[in-house]
Amino acid sequence: MKNLVSAVVLILVGLIALLGGCSTYNGMVNADEDVDNAWGKVQSAYQRRADLIPNLVNTVKGVANFEKSTLTAVIEARSKATSVTIDPANATPEQLAAFQQAQGGISQSLGRLMVIAEQYPELKANQSFLELQSQLEGTENRIKVARDNYNDVSTAYNKKVRRFPASLIAGMAGFKQKSQFQAEQNAQDAPDVKFE
Amino acid sequence: MKMKSLLLLLSSLWVMNGVFAKEIPARPQTLVNDYAGVLSPAQSSALEQKLRAYEDSTSTQIAIVIDRSLEGEDAFEYSFRLAQAWGIGQKDKDNGVLIYVAQAERKIRIVTNVGVQGFLTDALSKRIIENTITPAFKKGDFYAGLDGAVNDIIKVAAGEYTNDSKGNAAAGGAISFLILAAIIIGVFVLFSVLSRRSNNGGRGYYGGGRYDDRGYGPGGGWIIFPGGGFGGGGSDRNSDWGGSGGDDWGGFGGSDGFDGGGAGGDW
Repeated sequence: MKNLVSAVVLILVGLIALLGGCSTYNGMVNADEDVDNAWGKVQSAYQRRADLIPNLVNTVKGVANFEKSTLTAVIEARSKATSVTIDPANATPEQLAAFQQAQGGISQSLGRLMVIAEQYPELKANQSFLELQSQLEGTENRIKVARDNYNDVSTAYNKKVRRFPASLIAGMAGFKQKSQFQAEQNAQDAPDVKFE
Repeated sequence: MKMKSLLLLLSSLWVMNGVFAKEIPARPQTLVNDYAGVLSPAQSSALEQKLRAYEDSTSTQIAIVIDRSLEGEDAFEYSFRLAQAWGIGQKDKDNGVLIYVAQAERKIRIVTNVGVQGFLTDALSKRIIENTITPAFKKGDFYAGLDGAVNDIIKVAAGEYTNDSKGNAAAGGAISFLILAAIIIGVFVLFSVLSRRSNNGGRGYYGGGRYDDRGYGPGGGWIIFPGGGFGGGGSDRNSDWGGSGGDDWGGFGGSDGFDGGGAGGDW
């Protein structure tokens, strides 16, 4: 009799644990999807900027004797950045830092380009340059928003995965911590596109 | 020394947590919110009427906020947070625009939700600020600048959105016709079933034998229920339309799709 009762209790406890485990697991799956989605937005924002660069370079090139080295720096930074692709699901902090650095290279070279462009009255009166300039500004803002959002969402995910006892389930199911963007020097060097 | 760095760390954490950030006002019941008091009541309500009429015909929400000061926060950051927190634009369409003005800092921002970026690009937003808002603001005429900007946005959207609104109206008409038809058929079937029942005294031998073969008997119930369901949907929709047509504005749509798009300027 006693054995039966303890068996029933054990089965009940087991069931509750199983149900709890399932919902914890499902919660992690949801959070994981959110992170993927947020990462997709980060990538498309960076891609949007990379897509603007050829147009920008061509417009600037069209203007008389624009400093060549600045343009090559932008083009080089762009090709370097597009070669660094990472899978956010398995990215180590170092990989993400490398990605961030490559993108930061674009920000820096674009920032220099914009500063130099200020010295060319011909450019400042060029309608398509002005439009590209405002598109670039909007894109930098989109990158910032997407990155902040990614960090928020991945923080929520990491909290789910690291807390005890959920961490046991995460370990079994192979949910790893997500790396995050770091605030750094490059982020502050984003092209300061201003009209005077 | 240790204490100092700890304090520094704490204060930087505070900044990150937004304790120093400007507080966002509760969701208002108007599209035009002049916290700086630069518009006369007549100007404010003229703008409000125009924006509500525009929302009625296109569902696009254009909100205007004039603040006294940004209280040290960045114009982009604050206007973005504000638009996101208020949820400007319909939830499923993300079609919201915020025209934000900070009086003390002389900053202007047009914040666009993703649903309007197809026509109101960053470049066009910039152009509207530079060509319409800034010149009027420089003369001190806030109303002219804002009204002109609203007109510009409506004009820019017209290419894409007249079609959209026509399509919606047509679809709406088709839906209400279907609902009406469903109600009429539902009532008709209900009556015929009821009268048949009373004539035959329920499901008699004759009715059961003949109709059940074709699956008609249970079919009666099937037809009635969808009919009743549609009828309910119809009245819901009608009351929705009544609401938006009246004086009470329905509030912001609750869209949170802002992605940082838009443009900024000053005067």
